[in-house]
Amino acid sequence: MENVIEASNLTKHYGAIKAVDNINLQVRKGEFFGLLGPNGAGKSTTIRMLTSLTKPTSGIVKVTGRDCVTESLAVKQKIGVVSEVSNLYNEMSAWDNLMFVGELYGVERSVRVERAKRLLEVFQLYERRNDRVIGFSKGMKRRVRIAIALLHRPEVLFLDEPTSGLDVQSSRLIRSLVKGLNKEGMTIFLTTHYIDEADQLCDRVAIIRQGKIVVEDSPEKLKSSLQGEHIVEIAFDRNRSDIETLLRADPIVKDVTKEGDKYHVHTGRPSDVIKKMVQFAASNRLEIVSMSTKQPSLEDVFVKCTGLDAVQLERMELLRVVKASGQRG
Amino acid sequence: MANHSSSNLSRAFSDFVTRGVCIAKKDARIYYFKPQIVGFGILIPAFVYLSFSLGREIPPNLLIPGLVGMVSLFGASSIEAIAIPIERQTETWELLQIAPVSTLTIVFGKSLAGSAFGIMLSLITALGAVLLSGSTVTNPLMFVVAVIVGTFTFSALGMLVAAAAKDMPTANISLTALRLPMIFIGGVFMPIQALPLQLRVISYLTPLTYLVEALREAVAGPSIMFAIDAAVLLAWFIVLQSLAVLVLDKRSLTSRITIRSFLGK
Repeated sequence: MENVIEASNLTKHYGAIKAVDNINLQVRKGEFFGLLGPNGAGKSTTIRMLTSLTKPTSGIVKVTGRDCVTESLAVKQKIGVVSEVSNLYNEMSAWDNLMFVGELYGVERSVRVERAKRLLEVFQLYERRNDRVIGFSKGMKRRVRIAIALLHRPEVLFLDEPTSGLDVQSSRLIRSLVKGLNKEGMTIFLTTHYIDEADQLCDRVAIIRQGKIVVEDSPEKLKSSLQGEHIVEIAFDRNRSDIETLLRADPIVKDVTKEGDKYHVHTGRPSDVIKKMVQFAASNRLEIVSMSTKQPSLEDVFVKCTGLDAVQLERMELLRVVKASGQRG
Repeated sequence: MANHSSSNLSRAFSDFVTRGVCIAKKDARIYYFKPQIVGFGILIPAFVYLSFSLGREIPPNLLIPGLVGMVSLFGASSIEAIAIPIERQTETWELLQIAPVSTLTIVFGKSLAGSAFGIMLSLITALGAVLLSGSTVTNPLMFVVAVIVGTFTFSALGMLVAAAAKDMPTANISLTALRLPMIFIGGVFMPIQALPLQLRVISYLTPLTYLVEALREAVAGPSIMFAIDAAVLLAWFIVLQSLAVLVLDKRSLTSRITIRSFLGK
């Protein structure tokens, strides 16, 4: 199957900082591809090079067979880009935002009117089409933004954190819409902090760390690469500061992470760990509130590849959202 | 073969103009043609002019070019100095960057909006001044041509300052710092021949001088100097517009990483 995105030895320097380091990427036509990575890993720089917004320092990047540096306008005509921020003209209505961008992409008036009507109906915004977007919720703005990116019928849709900071209902609607677009044959390139989202949507994901792609495969294959590793999730009736240290002391325990009031015990021998947990609880006068075993998730693969744990990920996401709100507020 | 490349060129030019006009219409709608903006666009230069000319006998052939020159300068250059920082702040600038339009098209579209606004204000001011003073403009066509070229130049000046400034206050201060000296040495209040030699030399380095001179020639009657003044203004427009494109291209590569670094992304 033909590749619609091809990046070879792609590198980007910002002064002394190497934001992207010699990466290679191929995305096939009709594929739903996810790029995952912690903050500052190089996701945004990569997406900016793929969308012709930034020139690479070295390497070649082609989208829909066109060179992103020498044929940037032709590339932009063939792609749709939805950035993390719902950058819309707040003083204009949803309809006028669509009409403006449609005209900017050279879509004929009669065609853009018809498509805008259809898109706003699909995105459940047609009734609000004449309202200024300044009064829209974050989820509604994001839907308008995605509609704008689709108006010129792009071959490839780039989505940068499409559901970040949205309520559950809006997130589910957007996920369902982009999944539908992919089923209709559109190639989708997604970056997200939500690992579950990538797991649900993507045919293939790549994990980027410090500007390098550390792993790339389908979510299921990545998860199966951790086979032989199980997680026993256990919660006790009391929190004691030394529990984690005591659990780690056992040689059959590979790692322990704490999530909320639960401990995740990583091991290759789950049944032995369960037995030991029961003994551990009895000898330390603790009561087990809940205990279950889990298969490794894509998040576990992410944590293993990036060296970040779930708490660090949550902190980083929270910090990012707070800073972003401050910047926009 | 030649026909094919000529048709491609004509299509590229048509796209450039159509998409530039689309950006201009959007800017005009959002930033320019609002009653308070139009009011201030005429009132501020008019008040500045009156405060320096009241009590002095200024003949109409000096008054009309000076006043219209000043309105052109303020009207065409002011709004983009606000609009571009706002677009950067709300990140709608990126909406333009990801579209299949070159930076030159964006700058052209924005200059077009600034120029249209400046032309409208200048012609309203000129009409008012002619009616109030009872004087005439000998060559109205030359007058309009001078206003068009001048407002495009000042619009490009506003674009360049806004492109280079990091935020709205910096853009406004920088623009004011450029415009005020231009007004005093550009022949607005007195003919530049009346200026000391050193100031006269400096005045020939500012575009406002050439607009005021061109308008004076249109008011007084045809002169060969009009073509020279218009040509210099056109050259200023090309230089300022090209610099604005260069600065915007350069900044688009660095500003994003700064914003993203701040956001911790």
